[in-house]
Amino acid sequence: MAYGMIQLVPIAIVAGMFALFILSGLRSRGGQSSEYGFGGSYTGRVGIGAGIASNWMSAASFLGLAGIFYLKGYFGMAYVVGWTGGYVLLLVLMATQIRRFGKFTAPDFVGFRYESDTARTLAAVISIIISVIYCVAQFRGIALLVSWLFGIAYFPAVIIGTSLVVSHVVVSGALGVVRNQKLQYFVLIITFILPLMLLTRKLGYFWILPQFGYGAAIGELQQQFGFNWSEPFASTSLFEWLALCFTLMFGTAGLPHVLSRFYMVPGIRDARWGVVWGLFFIALIYWSAPAYGVLARLFEARNGLTLNAGGADAADMIALSGAGLGGAPLWALGLLAAGGMSAAFSITAGLLMNGSASFSFDIYPRLIRPNASEQDKVYAAKAFFLVLAAVVMTLTFQPWGMIAEIAAFAFALAGNTIFPAFLLGIWWPRANATGVICGMLTGLVISFMPLFIGDTLPVIAHLFPLTSSAFIGAPLVMIVMIVASLLTAPPSAAIRLFVSRDVHDCPEN
Amino acid sequence: MENTSTHTDPSFFKPHGTTMRSEVRVISFILSGWLISIVGCQLFAYLLEVNYSELLLDDLIFFNLPIQFWLSGQLLPLWFIILCILFNIWMDRRTVQNLEGSLRFRIKATRGEDE
Repeated sequence: MAYGMIQLVPIAIVAGMFALFILSGLRSRGGQSSEYGFGGSYTGRVGIGAGIASNWMSAASFLGLAGIFYLKGYFGMAYVVGWTGGYVLLLVLMATQIRRFGKFTAPDFVGFRYESDTARTLAAVISIIISVIYCVAQFRGIALLVSWLFGIAYFPAVIIGTSLVVSHVVVSGALGVVRNQKLQYFVLIITFILPLMLLTRKLGYFWILPQFGYGAAIGELQQQFGFNWSEPFASTSLFEWLALCFTLMFGTAGLPHVLSRFYMVPGIRDARWGVVWGLFFIALIYWSAPAYGVLARLFEARNGLTLNAGGADAADMIALSGAGLGGAPLWALGLLAAGGMSAAFSITAGLLMNGSASFSFDIYPRLIRPNASEQDKVYAAKAFFLVLAAVVMTLTFQPWGMIAEIAAFAFALAGNTIFPAFLLGIWWPRANATGVICGMLTGLVISFMPLFIGDTLPVIAHLFPLTSSAFIGAPLVMIVMIVASLLTAPPSAAIRLFVSRDVHDCPEN
Repeated sequence: MENTSTHTDPSFFKPHGTTMRSEVRVISFILSGWLISIVGCQLFAYLLEVNYSELLLDDLIFFNLPIQFWLSGQLLPLWFIILCILFNIWMDRRTVQNLEGSLRFRIKATRGEDE
């Protein structure tokens, strides 16, 4: 893959794809729109599923996962299982019930259920931190793609990428563009699978279903290059694998922007079946993602290149560089780049808008300016959007891991804080404000502990790895919530009755 | 704040009423299938690796993929979809039954047959 030169054809494809989305969004703006950035018209359960999937797809799914497979082999499967298995938790434990609360955001839910402004504000702060961390992963993906497209270094690519994201949100907002999520998912899946089919066909493998066809590459790597895939837990322990997998699942069921999806669907039944379709569409990507990592290794081995000579940046771009090494045409690379850009842009725009909405509705009028007018809140949201973008950009200059690892950290934080708050809030009416505040604070400490004292106390880093802390962390937080709730006064009879009768259809005592 | 100490709250482990009990039973069934499949597949791969080194894992190829890749990468996501479908089918049935029950009640009440 050639750095240092402008990739004209891929740039044209990326620009064309964004033009397509904007035009399509302008056509459908007569439909629904929402201040939370999840606008779009819903046509049936398949459409809801496509919306869930397109809202889920990010640079971590598109680029990061291939990089993890390329570097860590079977360990990458923890991401596949974690990011799909979380939807089972979400569906059976939360999807039906959270709709009955009738609240639109995670802070709304926490504030209402626990009858506490402090808990609501804390939930808003945590949601913003989660959004920032998740956005860093996306900005890194965008910066790497910009760096490749324009042949420039990573540092200026971060600045240009940030400018593009902000401009995209401003232009889309000014024109009133509504996201056409079905079209977006359709384009994403084509841009991801078509280049893979081309590569497997070129290799003479079973190209119609490259999700299975890439198995031949594993055999070839083993037989001809002595690369061993047969010891899944040779470099990482079973504990590390399970810790990451369950952290991602708890995080999936606790990510504010994922939970918000269920409020946006008109009917509860449609919401449930939409999850099934969404999971199927997401699985289509994850069935294919390992292939990019495996094929990239094979192409490198055939070309006599050493593994990961380019470091983490190269590993995160391995889907593109591997396809380039395999002789994929430039337009196919352009498709991959356009898919990655589109996934990263849409989720980043949504998260930044969510973060600024949380600030302007939950923090600004409560902590900073109690008598703020609606106009003040709008200005605060716009200003905070720019502040968030600047913070994310600054953090992206020195990212602390690969794209998928940074995203996993956001999942760990969500799994340690929002997930227990929702789970006990729904399933245990006795959980109270003191419990949830203690729990969320404990979750924050657990999530950031390995970052700050992991080097001094290796046992902390071992038990609570940065990307996988919710495996032990989430149950610990729940214990803290239960103990703190039992030691303090129960919540009001009204909210307990609401949870029993309205959420769970229990007969009144 | 009103303290209702005599009131026993329902919870996942102490469900109240037939609706919640049956829902919790199905959720437990689905979550057991979810947990056993995830841990079971990894334990299977781990035990094969520990006990037989790479010999067996080399030979066990399923749908063109090494067994551990197929189990975690292909089967588990598919199994999650199946679990979600089973849950939804059960929820739909319960919704229809509840609706039928409430309609029957309303019709009887209107005609005054139960009075």
